[in-house]
Amino acid sequence: MNELYAILFGFITLLGGVTTAIYRDPFDKLISLSLLAAGIFPFIVDRGYVDVAAAAALIAPLGTIFTLMVCRRRARDA
Amino acid sequence: MIALAVVAVIAALEAVRVVAERNTMRKLPYLNVVSFAITGSLMLLLPHPLTILACAAYFVGSTLESNAIASTWSGGIRKHE
Repeated sequence: MNELYAILFGFITLLGGVTTAIYRDPFDKLISLSLLAAGIFPFIVDRGYVDVAAAAALIAPLGTIFTLMVCRRRARDA
Repeated sequence: MIALAVVAVIAALEAVRVVAERNTMRKLPYLNVVSFAITGSLMLLLPHPLTILACAAYFVGSTLESNAIASTWSGGIRKHE
């Protein structure tokens, strides 16, 4: 991977991580978390671990969906 | 490789727009643009038959994630009571 691509995708990953830590709203947090996941995948694929990338791409949304169930329950109780 | 550079720059710019946008609902189209750009960059990084599988998995997964966030944020299915 060229340095330019490493800088750009690393920038996306860092931006997602920092904003996930900063935001207070849970939906904003989840959106930033998916930004973080989006930045990771080019690094995984660039090394040749394509099967790992496919598995991670299918497992990462499952975690988001389980977190969304908790968010909806909190919103309904409040 | 100019195509990969263009797609990566688009992904970074739209990531900045996701963070800069204040409204939660308006972040989601920009997040979709990031997902499309990342899918294209995955395919351009490693031209291999198995990469198509990873790209399809990432495309389906990220779209599902965005749609799940949007439908939960808007309240989900309304029941008739």
